[in-house]
Formats: sequence, structure tokens, C-alpha cells
Amino acid sequence: MHEWALADAVISTVERLYEENGRKRVLSVRVLIGELQHIEMEAFSLGLQNLLAERPFSTDVFHFEKEKASFRCNACGKGWLLEQHPELGEEELEAIHFLPEAAHVYMRCPGCGSPDFALEKGRGVTIKSIELSDD
Amino acid sequence: MIDPRLDVIGRRLEPVGRIIPVSSAKGGVGKSVCAALLALSFSTQGYRTGLLDLDFQGASAHLLLDVRLDFPEEESGIKPLRTGNLDFMSFAAFSREHAVPLRGSEVSQAMLELLAITIWDPLEILLIDMPPGIGDEIFDVLRYLRDPEFLVVTTPSSLVRHVVQRLLAMLSEMKVPVIGVIENMVHPGGDCQAAALAEKYGTTLLGSVPFERDIDDLVTGAVRGNPLPETLASAIGSLTARIASADG
Repeated sequence: MHEWALADAVISTVERLYEENGRKRVLSVRVLIGELQHIEMEAFSLGLQNLLAERPFSTDVFHFEKEKASFRCNACGKGWLLEQHPELGEEELEAIHFLPEAAHVYMRCPGCGSPDFALEKGRGVTIKSIELSDD
Repeated sequence: MIDPRLDVIGRRLEPVGRIIPVSSAKGGVGKSVCAALLALSFSTQGYRTGLLDLDFQGASAHLLLDVRLDFPEEESGIKPLRTGNLDFMSFAAFSREHAVPLRGSEVSQAMLELLAITIWDPLEILLIDMPPGIGDEIFDVLRYLRDPEFLVVTTPSSLVRHVVQRLLAMLSEMKVPVIGVIENMVHPGGDCQAAALAEKYGTTLLGSVPFERDIDDLVTGAVRGNPLPETLASAIGSLTARIASADG
């Protein structure tokens, strides 16, 4: 469950901004969940829930948005989505789950076969926005 | 967009005492060997020691230290692998023996991820096997890790010394703590000029490591309990003592 560590990171950021902004009430936290990392949402939510137990935010303020993983080849310019890539094995997916950059180890451009491609979107866990109350 | 990993890295490294990147501006000087030997030496002397291999594209510390590359155990993060008494983490845990074709920004992303999800047990010393050069990894270490103290590896080669000088100059310019310089691959009776190089940049030559033809096998053997040749063991023991006494 290394989702716990990522949930911990998200909460740490929210907590920092909460403190830096005079402990204003947290209204919403929008979290982008990139497809590439294959986050188990149940484990991630459980992590949030447990870590939030002693904090002044409730899980209700957290909103999740899934983002498809898209790539572009630096060699030939072809763009593709994760779902368009030939299926990866279980071990390869597991490696990418731990460390999304392992995608560069196991994936190749479906157009020209180059390992030199960029991940454009959908890597892992990022915070899209945090809204604090004005009062 | 906010990267939440940046808010947790400091806390992940709280159980770690000294953070010591073993670096050089030149490849092939024996950074990994020195890092591995020092890690073994510290752990043998009872220091709780870890080794983090940040040379993603040329990861080799796991080979030297005979680390079995299973996926790390998960427990509110990932647990370092173990070899002997050492805690160990490397991109190789995920890439095995495949090539790791990463561009600079991807190296930084991978490093942030590893730092954010690795749960280190309390360590007195975390050695970092750095990649060659003055690039993303050095700047990321300076940016994200608390109080790194650099060890700089050179060899008797004048070419290497010239290149290593650039790293020492940069670290000096940035006022980064350098514990000292290690001269590796030294032949008996050789003319040591590393002391002058270290002195020029306000640091010190910590010691010399003798050239050994089969050094890789010797390190791996040491993990399995075979003694190192006396001159090598003595050199590493002396380096370990000097690094330990340079604490703080």
C-alpha cells in the first residue's frame, strides 16, 4: 500500500497551505490521479481517511479527477494514449505503479519503436487546486 | 498544479542522520565501488547505514552489493531492500537489468518519487551513489535533501583531476559542505596530486584507495563475508574513521 505514502504527501501539502493561510477552512482539494501510476483508489482513500483522523479537514473536501495517460514520441512525433499501447505484463505494470518513470523502461513508441518519448499527461498524484474559505 | 511529494520528502528523511553523496564529475572513477565499500565498512562497524543509488541510468551498486532485486515491500510506503546489515534503494528494483532511457526531467521525477515513498528506518548514515557529471541529480540533491555532505572521488589520472576540479569549484562556489576527496585506483609509489587539488578548494584529501584488478568481485565477496585484501581494508577503514570524525 504505497498509496498511503502518496495520500500522506497530499495531506502534508494541504496542511502546509492551511497553516500558511491563517488556518482558513479548507473548502475543497482537487486531486488529479494520473492513469499511468495505476493508483488503487480504495487504498488511497483509506490512507486519506486514516491520516485525516486527527486533522481539521474531512475527507468530504477531497475530490478526485482521473487523467488519462498520454505520450508523445520525441523521435517521430507520434502521440498515443496508454490504452493504445500494447498490453504490458503484470511485473511491468507493478514497476510503473511504484515508479511511473519505469514506463520508459518497458514502453516504446507504437509508431517507431523509440524509447525516447515524453509523458505529456496522467503521470500520478498531483493537486490541481485547493480552495480555502475567505473568512 | 501542486506537487505534493515536495511536502513530504523532508519528513521521510527525518530518521536519517548524515546524508553523504559520493560523487565525481567524471565517470568510471569508482564512485559506486567507494560508496559500496564505505557502506559495508560503516555497517560492519555498527553504524546503521543505508545506500541510495541515484545513478538511475548506470545503476550498479546492487550488483556490487549482491542485492536481490525483488519489488520492495509496501508498508505505508515502500521499505528499502536489505543486503547484509545495509538498507538499500535503487531504480534497479523496478528496472532490473533493462536500460533506463530517461531525460533530465524524468530523472528528477523518478528521484522525487523514490524520496517521497521510501520509508527509511532510523539510519546514522545514508550514502548516495551519485551519477557522474554535474547535472540534475546533484541539483536535486542540493534542493531536496537536508544538509548533504559531499565526498568527491578522483583518480591519479590528470584528465580525471581536471574534470573533478570543475565539480569541486562548483561545490565551493555554492558553499556546499565537502567532507573531502578520495583518490581511487592508486598504484603503489604513484605521485599523489589529489591533496593539492583538495586543498585548492578548501577541503582535504581523506585518503587513497589502492587499485585492485578484481575490485568488483572483492566488494561482492566482502558482502558474503570474505575479507578484503589487507591494503584495501586498511585504506577503507581509515577513510571510514576520517568520515566518521568529520561529523558535524
